[in-house]
Amino acid sequence: MEVEVSRRRFLGGTVAMTIFGGAAVSTGLLSGGEEKHNSSSPRIPKTVTTKTGTGEAEKVPFLCGMCVNKCAGYARVEDGIITKLDPNPHFPKSRNMLCPRGNAGIQTTYDPDRLKYPLIRVGERGSGKFKRISWEEAYDAILNGTDKFKGLKQILDEEKDNRATIGYCNGEGLSKEGFETLVGQKLGSPNYVDEVSICLETAGAGFFATLGVYPEIDFEHADYLIISGANRAEAIITPDTQDMFKHTKRRGIKKTVCIDPRFTNTAAKADKWLPVNPGTDLAFVLALTWVVFNENLQNEAFMKKYGVGYEEYKQHILSHKYTPEWAEPICGIKAKDIYTIAREFMQAEAPVYYPGRRSVFSPNDYQLRRAMAIFQALSGNIDKKGGYIYGNPIMLPPEYVNAPIYDQAKERFDTEGIAFPTLKSGSWIVFRNMVLEGKNPYPLRVMFMRKHNPMMSVPNSAKTAEFLKKMDLNVMIDILPSDTAMYADVILPEASYLERTSPVKAYGFLEPAVVMRKAAIKPLYETKEPEVIYKELAEKLAKPLFEISKKYDKDLQEQIKLRGEKKVFEEDGWNLADAWELPVYEKNKEIIEKAFGPKAWEILDEKGVYYPHMEEYFKQLNPNEYQYYPKSKKFYSTMGDKKRVVCKFDRLATRGIDPMPTWHDEWKFSVPEGKFRLITGRHAQFTQSGTTNNAMLRDLIPTNYLWINKRTAKKMGIEFGDKVEIKSEVGKGQLLAYPTEKIAPNQVFMLHGFGSQSEGLELAYGNGCNDAAIIKDDFEPVFGAAVMHSTNVEIRKV
Amino acid sequence: MARYGMALDYKNCINCKACEVACKEENGVLLGADKHRIWVGVNEVEGEWPLLDIVSSTFLPSQCQHCDNAPCQEVCPTHATYYDENGVVRVDSNKCILCSYCMNACPYDARYVDDRTMTVDKCTFCSDTRLARGETTTACQNTCPTKVRTFGDLDDPESEISILLKTREHFSLKSHLGTKPKLFYLT
Repeated sequence: MEVEVSRRRFLGGTVAMTIFGGAAVSTGLLSGGEEKHNSSSPRIPKTVTTKTGTGEAEKVPFLCGMCVNKCAGYARVEDGIITKLDPNPHFPKSRNMLCPRGNAGIQTTYDPDRLKYPLIRVGERGSGKFKRISWEEAYDAILNGTDKFKGLKQILDEEKDNRATIGYCNGEGLSKEGFETLVGQKLGSPNYVDEVSICLETAGAGFFATLGVYPEIDFEHADYLIISGANRAEAIITPDTQDMFKHTKRRGIKKTVCIDPRFTNTAAKADKWLPVNPGTDLAFVLALTWVVFNENLQNEAFMKKYGVGYEEYKQHILSHKYTPEWAEPICGIKAKDIYTIAREFMQAEAPVYYPGRRSVFSPNDYQLRRAMAIFQALSGNIDKKGGYIYGNPIMLPPEYVNAPIYDQAKERFDTEGIAFPTLKSGSWIVFRNMVLEGKNPYPLRVMFMRKHNPMMSVPNSAKTAEFLKKMDLNVMIDILPSDTAMYADVILPEASYLERTSPVKAYGFLEPAVVMRKAAIKPLYETKEPEVIYKELAEKLAKPLFEISKKYDKDLQEQIKLRGEKKVFEEDGWNLADAWELPVYEKNKEIIEKAFGPKAWEILDEKGVYYPHMEEYFKQLNPNEYQYYPKSKKFYSTMGDKKRVVCKFDRLATRGIDPMPTWHDEWKFSVPEGKFRLITGRHAQFTQSGTTNNAMLRDLIPTNYLWINKRTAKKMGIEFGDKVEIKSEVGKGQLLAYPTEKIAPNQVFMLHGFGSQSEGLELAYGNGCNDAAIIKDDFEPVFGAAVMHSTNVEIRKV
Repeated sequence: MARYGMALDYKNCINCKACEVACKEENGVLLGADKHRIWVGVNEVEGEWPLLDIVSSTFLPSQCQHCDNAPCQEVCPTHATYYDENGVVRVDSNKCILCSYCMNACPYDARYVDDRTMTVDKCTFCSDTRLARGETTTACQNTCPTKVRTFGDLDDPESEISILLKTREHFSLKSHLGTKPKLFYLT
């Protein structure tokens, strides 16, 4: 086989082409980096990339913070500068690798646009006009306000100590729990929203409800794979991505079937790609199930033993006549392919219908996950080698927080239109919209935000902006001046993940391990570790806010009469800072020594990873691969007879949700003439909106293009690189066109996370289009999770 | 003293570009899309939606092939391009006069101009960074999520790469030119 791959062709003809002239961008960075920085120690590199030296260097174990996976690595530190990030081979979950973002993590720490010191708003909300202040002034402004905004003390006094007037949000990360402790348990706010309701809420919940697990997959021994609506080649999840693509193309997995509206890099690695109509996967899975029952292909003994409502489900599927012929016009996949796949799947030794892990694309997503989980169970390939793995959790002891009880605090309110509102993280869309529509039963006046960018992650940005403008006080803790940070009154700059030690974390499943991130360098500029910020803010707020509670809280007044103020303050959790008495590193040591002994701590401290018998089990097999656990010690089967396959979930019916996955015709896919359905997704080079200011990653993918079908584009006179406007009923934006046959004529695709409007981000500002500004704010009925693929758009050449 | 080569299990490649970033960070390569020592060649999938030819869609990681019979070395008027003691094709930037003969001669398009030194640069198998420190992997191999690459000594019959080349079928790029590349693509 001969393949011609020329640099010139590569640059001229593919999406990797830099339209704005990458060289111009980079030389600007190289020369312009220095005067933007003004820090003496630790040092800042003079150039974007640093050639690693051959002399002495420190090797510090870290956990990557570029996405949610927490891959383990070693930071190479030379003379106070991080010059390189290398994979740490000890962590079974990350399998000795760093992805492009992991490698580019250095640029996060040395991004010249970083938030370097506390800022306070001096212009209008959203104007981006801020002034540098000291930490003490920043904490003071949060408590007492300024002439531009009210402080927490005044707001809580006006609200008679109703702590629910405070809302808060946080994105995923190792310091997230600490923020929940601070604002949720300590300050007493029930109104928390995070990434869950704009991410995989229905996937997790659907699998949990059906099987009691959101499983891991044993790709090493799987021999048949259906991967639908998940894009493991470009939305990297460890260890799935590594394991999957070592076995695709018939190297262990005899057949890989990829179901996706567009031809992704995952489809390129499959043996068969079936473009499905967006949001109709459920019809496909129901038809697969019908074939299985109709031809009696299922593992009947398994289902009889573990199924709940199994017979009813069988009747349900057969009586609804969910045949492949019925599904074909709905999902766009040929009936004969559905028959073939269902038969092949059930005949395979170790078939896997990949659970998928992604945002919610359609209103039926919860039911889709239930149908997928049941379909997998029909093969019996669960809780065993080559199938779904429940595995073994390495449990760390739970952390006790002494949380005060606020008598005046109201309950959260974001329940409208949701069958099963989640108390923990709520629904971003419903929470925001109810406030905008004045449907909240009490005023919501404060937003505490951290590492979260709802302006670019929650559908319908215009509404998010309006919501943030409505608040009396917005506080943001982050590392970059994001679009959301522009709406803050006080901004607290956080240390990046390479500058902080984080709370230990355990990962379970097939090969469990405990991991720890250590700070490679001290925090740059005036930034602080999140746990330090929590502690200092808690110290600042504790006494003044206690005074307000004393004024309105009858229970508290009683207690003080009985036991004295000092005792009550300390014993009942009103001392807000008591959750952070020990620095993170010391606390980790305490936890690990208590759970596994002092030797475990030594290993973890040096290597960043620990699991029982690690010294005995861990071996290098070849230059690329390692053994973490011997095969006989891996947790392939752990459930025994405790397995359950809940086919019929009666509790759902109590709130008007189908107890068994059922198709409804309102979910059919159709696009009006002249419009396109917008679908969104990921590339391996970016994590949502958090990485688009990263010089190294921008170097790989300069902007987000609009994928549009080649023939459609030709009719519209649109060529590669042409600027087009995309418009929906909620917003519009502009980006560059990429005509391709990898997408259907009635659909367009754009990469999520671009189109920042924050002038504080030199590279990200005005680059590409923000999909959250275009996608309308539909949500699914079970939990109120955001639906990402229901928006039709108009396209025109600009 | 070794004869270094690299085997690429290219079917594992998902075009994530981790190797490109690792290379740039390790070796201090300039930013810019045309400034790279390694890259992934992409053949866009052929056909018309929905009938696309999956097999036509390939990701082929590539870089300097460190040919045993390197045309770039042959044409260099100042002997700036040379074979080092490990058979790695290197460029001595003190001798390079940027005549660009080598860039034209290289059938793999593996060379570019480093704007800082105004000389030609390319992959060095991390000779002056990782190998100089006693590491046994290149940055691209070490970081690869799906473990496409195996780097090692072709003269050592016990090395992983030698065993791979003995036990797996492979091809090299443009072998008909007689350049004897030391990058081997495993099938």
